[in-house]
Amino acid sequence: MLDLDWNLLLEIDWVEIGGATLDTLTMLGVSMLFTVLAGLPLGVLLFISAPGQLRARPRLYAVLSFLVNVLRSLPFVILLIVLMPFTLLLVGTSIGVAGAIVPLVVGAVPFFARLVENVLREVDRGVIEASQSMGARLSHIVFKVLLPESLPGLIGAATVTAVALVGYTAMSGVIGGGGLGDLAIRYGYQRFQTEIMIVTVVLLLALVQGLQSAGDSLVRRCRFD
Amino acid sequence: MIEVQSISKHYQHGGKSIAALDNVSLQIASGEIYGIIGRSGAGKSTLIRCLNLLERPDSGHVSLHGEDITRLDERALQQRRQRIGMVFQHFNLLRSRTVAANVRFPLELAGGQSPAQMDARVDELLALVGLQDHKHKRPSQLSGGQKQRVGIARALANHPDLLLCDEATSALDPETTDAILALLADINRQLGLTIVLITHDMRVIRQLCDSVAVLDHGRVVEQGKVLDVFLAPQHAVTQSLLAETGMGQGALQGIWRQRVATPVIKLTFVGEPTLQPVLDKVGREVGLRVNLLSGTLSEIKDTPFGQLLAGVVASDVDVSALPAIFAREGVRCEVL
Repeated sequence: MLDLDWNLLLEIDWVEIGGATLDTLTMLGVSMLFTVLAGLPLGVLLFISAPGQLRARPRLYAVLSFLVNVLRSLPFVILLIVLMPFTLLLVGTSIGVAGAIVPLVVGAVPFFARLVENVLREVDRGVIEASQSMGARLSHIVFKVLLPESLPGLIGAATVTAVALVGYTAMSGVIGGGGLGDLAIRYGYQRFQTEIMIVTVVLLLALVQGLQSAGDSLVRRCRFD
Repeated sequence: MIEVQSISKHYQHGGKSIAALDNVSLQIASGEIYGIIGRSGAGKSTLIRCLNLLERPDSGHVSLHGEDITRLDERALQQRRQRIGMVFQHFNLLRSRTVAANVRFPLELAGGQSPAQMDARVDELLALVGLQDHKHKRPSQLSGGQKQRVGIARALANHPDLLLCDEATSALDPETTDAILALLADINRQLGLTIVLITHDMRVIRQLCDSVAVLDHGRVVEQGKVLDVFLAPQHAVTQSLLAETGMGQGALQGIWRQRVATPVIKLTFVGEPTLQPVLDKVGREVGLRVNLLSGTLSEIKDTPFGQLLAGVVASDVDVSALPAIFAREGVRCEVL
């Protein structure tokens, strides 16, 4: 059994935990925003350029698909380090919360884009064909058919990505990104302050639960029946 | 006038080239309902998609009212398609939109109308198909027949000059099928709209179409006015399609052929004579007594027709003289 001294809770630096929570939420919020902004178009591009699809470009698709796979196969910790020069160039720093957001986005975009591609594949081909028969242009099909018809699936994909991002943020401590996960590693794991680790884990759990419930309720609200 | 000029379409399958359409030509008059029938795999689905170029033929031309649409660039084709309505077997409605918004969709694509104009047009169309009360429902809340009515309203939104029906009633039960066919006939009459439909069901052809083409293995094996094709099917595929739906007439099959010892005549009544006692009249005149073997009385589109197979038991005149005698009464008689 763990020998826990809950009196330590009184000594926990709640300000530090509060700051770490804020860091996590900042990293999550900002990186999620950019992930959707970049991942959604990339997912649409993957979908329409795939062989046999609306604008089949097999070679472009093969290149994009390979890049997505490369980024998805790199462990996030390695991505953090590898991207440091790029991050520095982009945001002026390669450390801290700001420095963590770039690798978070780079890690999550391919993941989200692939999910988007799969969600779009579920759209009834007959509906796309019907739109074409009515003279719809590609932009019509994307904005009036594909995205609205797959909205519940897209929200689901965003939820899964956000939860994955919570996991990624835990590793951002490597470059001084901070956040709850970092706190759990530094105090809980490296300094054996199990209590702090438990508190942070409970907070992370609450965050993940909250994200999932919010996502699920949005999906319920926009289902089509 | 819609002209399909020797179109062919091949698919690559496992390194082999398979002909979905093999040198198909059709002429479809404006304002008529033209049916294309064939078994699954005959190429009818490909053929109807060649009429709005959802499928592009490898060779040949498709012209609508004198305009060769195979020569249009993509943008011009998209514009042209706005005035070619299409109705689908599985309706293909947008789940994310209400009934009214589904009907509004092609109007949004076409552009150039204010929201108020579009709403007015949507109301007009929903009234035409009898769905005013379901305006705000989602497709998932509708029955199959209602979904197809939405599909039809949507297809008519931009005042098309051609309506394509891709097995429009194949997913519906018989009663609903009748209602949808009646609606299509009504639209054809009211708007003078040319309708081309594909089906595997001879009943659809009989109830609705003016002309028919029979497709088999990518080729047109028979085409003509529905009445002619039904009463005198030439090709084996046509005959078997008719027989399967219980509409094959005038052939005494197998063992019955041998058991009937008397000469057999086939009488075909079309239109007015169908309702007259022609057989009785001729019988009294020339002492003709018959043994009725089979008979049908039906309607092709709005024309009544009947066919009788009869064994000639006794006759004052020679059997070979009968065709001329029946012809005077407007009834075709063949000695089998």
